[in-house]
Amino acid sequence: MPTLSLSTPVNTALLLYLLYTVQRILFPRGSPPPADDAPTEFKKGYSWMPRSHPPVLVFTKYTPKTLEKYDGKTPEGGGRILLAIQGTVFDVTAGRNFYGPDGMYGNFAGRDASRGMAKQSFDVEMLTPLDQPLDKLTDLTQEEIENMKGWHDHFSNKYIICGRLVENDAI
Amino acid sequence: MRACCERDLFSTGEASDRMEDGEEVGGTRTGRVVAEICEDRGRGQTGRANQGAQKTATAGTGARIRGKEAGAPRRRRVMSLNSKLRLQAAGFTHASASAMALSDYLVTDDLTILLGLITASVFLLYNLYKPQSLVHPILLGRQSDVGRVRNPGESAVHRNYGTGLMGRFPLRPTREVQTLLDLVKPEYDAPRTLWSTKITNPQLRERAAAFGTGLLRAGLTHDSNVLLLLNDSIEFLITDIALASHSIPSFTLTSPSLLSSVLDNHPPTAIVIDAGFLPNVLELIYDTNELSHHVVIVVGEPDSKALEQAAEQIKLVRWSDIEEEGKRGEKLTSPTPDPNDVFTVSFYEDHNGQLQGAQLSHQNLTAGVTTLRGLLPLSNPLTALDTIVSAYSLSTSFGRAIAYTALYEGTSFATTNSTRLYKNDDVVVPPGLPDLFSTKSLPLPSPTIVFAKPEHLNALTASIISEAEKSLAFSFAWRHKMAGVLDGYITNQSLWDRLVFDGARTKVLGDSASTIRGIVVSGGTLDDHALTPTRIALSIPFVHAHTHPLVTAPRTPDAALAHVGPPTINIEVKLVGVDDAALEKGADPVGHVHVRGPIVGRLLAVSDDAEDGADAAGEEPWVPIGHNARVQTNGSFKVWPVGK
Repeated sequence: MPTLSLSTPVNTALLLYLLYTVQRILFPRGSPPPADDAPTEFKKGYSWMPRSHPPVLVFTKYTPKTLEKYDGKTPEGGGRILLAIQGTVFDVTAGRNFYGPDGMYGNFAGRDASRGMAKQSFDVEMLTPLDQPLDKLTDLTQEEIENMKGWHDHFSNKYIICGRLVENDAI
Repeated sequence: MRACCERDLFSTGEASDRMEDGEEVGGTRTGRVVAEICEDRGRGQTGRANQGAQKTATAGTGARIRGKEAGAPRRRRVMSLNSKLRLQAAGFTHASASAMALSDYLVTDDLTILLGLITASVFLLYNLYKPQSLVHPILLGRQSDVGRVRNPGESAVHRNYGTGLMGRFPLRPTREVQTLLDLVKPEYDAPRTLWSTKITNPQLRERAAAFGTGLLRAGLTHDSNVLLLLNDSIEFLITDIALASHSIPSFTLTSPSLLSSVLDNHPPTAIVIDAGFLPNVLELIYDTNELSHHVVIVVGEPDSKALEQAAEQIKLVRWSDIEEEGKRGEKLTSPTPDPNDVFTVSFYEDHNGQLQGAQLSHQNLTAGVTTLRGLLPLSNPLTALDTIVSAYSLSTSFGRAIAYTALYEGTSFATTNSTRLYKNDDVVVPPGLPDLFSTKSLPLPSPTIVFAKPEHLNALTASIISEAEKSLAFSFAWRHKMAGVLDGYITNQSLWDRLVFDGARTKVLGDSASTIRGIVVSGGTLDDHALTPTRIALSIPFVHAHTHPLVTAPRTPDAALAHVGPPTINIEVKLVGVDDAALEKGADPVGHVHVRGPIVGRLLAVSDDAEDGADAAGEEPWVPIGHNARVQTNGSFKVWPVGK
């Protein structure tokens, strides 16, 4: 004769689990989490909100003096690396290997790199000293100007345009 | 066990060696007892082992007594033997007792098997049978693509994540659709009902061509402006298509109150008007004294009094006569318009109270159709079997886009009564349930997709829920539906729908309860709390969008204030006038909404707060739409009109 005894521990445990699961199925949680306390991970809940907005840079006007600290080694620059070509300032922090302090083109960090881009040279002579007016680039050949524009386009596609370079007394 | 017995015997033997003869007897007896114990142990009978242990004890006592006489060392050895035996026997008892207890706990019987099976199946049911959410939650965290740079005082540019910042805006549904006429596909010739006319695409094109020819014969040219004061009907569509294909600009008004200012500022060459509205317009025309310039084309039969009155002063023609005229003889054609040509201007009143005109080009409309097609979930796109009912007048940009989407997809189409702008009585049909059902009088198949206003939606939700509350299982069903919505899953095929909600929906909606499969709401503000009850009551894909008279498609669709989701695929949005300091700290950007994209028409009059200088860059200028918005961290927008 089959024995059906609920008093055995195994049966009791199974029965309790069964009742608990059935209760969860029949009476599901019916209220949304409060709006202030929304989960911040998608695994924690369906109506979740990310904790913060994606990072956005502000388009700023830089002068050669204010741009200089963004060379990746000065602490005031916050680790960002910027360089300027044809008056457009690019954020090249993603290319730290090239433009960082130890990079091949590290000279350009925090400076106006237009002449260097045009003449395809990374020498220090290509850089204009900080207190002088911006390089007018009038003595470049057409080919060099084309080269510089090509670099400008390359940078526009690869890095973020985050500002304009203006004269030291313009701000 | 054998070994310990032998050892005991051996030690017994040892002990007995040291004893005197008298004791030897006892030793032997001990040995015999030990042998018995070993036998018992071998057989595994606990009871007898206990007895054996007792015997050992007595025997041991006996031996002890004799051992006492023999001397201390012997006694000790005998005692150690006895205690050894006793301990071993006791240990055996203990072990077997706990073994008995454990197997007692684990005793399984048939109920266990039964319960085990039920529990396993319930466990699987609970964990694996949960319905999947319609949209994976990871997608909800990044709904709009945000630019990496922003100008000071503005937010970054937001686009739909599907389009992306680098993507180009889709301008047309397919490459061949360049102008408005192309939206009426000639190769598609299944009949469908537009308002109360059953017509196919080729027939529609025929009628439009005939009407266009008639218009040209009546004297209209490219330089004419035609003011359309028509209620939504197939004549409106035919007129619109005819004018567009001959590049004759048309004007429409979003509200009849704008009529006088438009007649003053932008006098049209011809007016196409509904017969019922004719007397009102005649008065205005007499006022402005521009009578000789006006040709008035009347749809329907004007009453005789107006006819007499008008015939003296202006050239009055019947719409049907023009079409007849056009059918006879050769069809006149014009060069194909360029998609960027403006074919219509929709006049509306902007947030500053100014009269504003939205210049719409063919491209705006085709881009608008593209956007609207993508509004509903991809798994159930619009097909020719659908019927679209719209609460937006064809005189508005959005209404026009909906109508042309319906035409393009080959669905049946009608608009509700509240879209009737031009009537001679002052009866205002409020948007509500009766209005929503006004299309039932038309010979139209049951509506499947509805473009409604928030008032319609609120009335619908309230009545469905009040009907459903009469059912017994309502609170239970609501709870389950709510749990589904919280997990991102809605369906109108579930058990709760069959039990509770289908009945309520049928009572409220009638036949369309079973056919309606999507609803798009825009044109006003919707409360956040209203969203979930709506989703539960209707259980169909529901899109909350934001539209603007200048824009041919919703600005921001969706799955306090309800959010409207990210920008649609065809538009980019930025907020102007944001607080930079708060933004740097991570707060939500809040500011005025500026939009740009192929669905944004061009403004006729320069608005006060429009941006200038953008034309210099060769790009389209950003257009302020008079609303403020806030962007949430997941890229969705909450929009409200300025001034609230």
